[in-house]
Amino acid sequence: MELTLAQGIAKAAALLGAGLCMGMGALGPGVGEGFVAGKACEGIARSPENASLITRTMLVGQAVSESTGIYSLVIALLLIFAVKI
Amino acid sequence: MIFNVEYIQIAAFLGAGLCVGIGAITTGIGSGIIAGEGAYGIVKQPKANEQIFRTMLIGQAAAQTAGIFALVISMLLIYGITFDAAGGWYKAAAYLSAGLAMGLGSIGPSLGAGYAGAQACKSVARMPKHGNTIMTNMLIGQALSQTSAIFALVIAFLLMFSVPNQPEGIGVGKMLVKSLAFIGAGLSIGLGTLGPGTGIGFVAGKACDMLGRFPNEKSKIMRTMFLGAAVSESTAIYSLVVAFLLIFAIK
Repeated sequence: MELTLAQGIAKAAALLGAGLCMGMGALGPGVGEGFVAGKACEGIARSPENASLITRTMLVGQAVSESTGIYSLVIALLLIFAVKI
Repeated sequence: MIFNVEYIQIAAFLGAGLCVGIGAITTGIGSGIIAGEGAYGIVKQPKANEQIFRTMLIGQAAAQTAGIFALVISMLLIYGITFDAAGGWYKAAAYLSAGLAMGLGSIGPSLGAGYAGAQACKSVARMPKHGNTIMTNMLIGQALSQTSAIFALVIAFLLMFSVPNQPEGIGVGKMLVKSLAFIGAGLSIGLGTLGPGTGIGFVAGKACDMLGRFPNEKSKIMRTMFLGAAVSESTAIYSLVVAFLLIFAIK
């Protein structure tokens, strides 16, 4: 199948968009989850008796923070595979 | 359309410059903050100066890793490839993208490794008796944070050496799709490593800091560090997957 110029530009823009979407979308969750884990390390060191509680809170917080990363992944995959030109 | 080999050279040299230029930003900042904390630590604890100095140098070396990756990619883009007009726009886009991937990809890991090293220096100054434990933890944390730089390196190598030549007589539309997919792959992994690299570095830094205050809780602190770093790494892996798809799955 041969693409016309306009179709090519549209498809190319979708693919470039997928790359940018996942790249920038990974920025926030990465920093945020790292911050959560860093503070959890601090908390566990200061009150080791609450270790399980702190670990649970850390994991729940990271899961919520991860959601935007997963949104980006979904959008990137849609841009790669589901855009029909 | 007439295609000159100079177009590929322009892209490769631009990529080489951007790669080491962007990559050097936080490599410098990271090493600098380690040296700053190291110097301040020696002021506070002059007796432990040898140990602090050693931690500082090892931490700086680990923080420089991503910068060295960028330098390697940059050198390869200048001297390590043979330019051939048959490569077409595919090769031009891939070389530019390889430079961007490694350049952007070394920002986060260097910053993270720098923070971890700085906290380790501070920690060794506070508790020189546990210096070796803190230094081991620092190295593990820095290695975790550098994994995302290694993802960027892998993608940069793939873009440089596994991208095919542009087929003869291909339409402009098809050419645009493939070329921009290569650029998208580089941007995906380059920007995608920024967050995880910084985040894991923050975790490692806090863990080093706390090992210097509460050395008895070593196992719990290190366990939390590993768990937190692994979750934080996941977004870098998503970026890697998207980059692989953009390189190999686009027809």
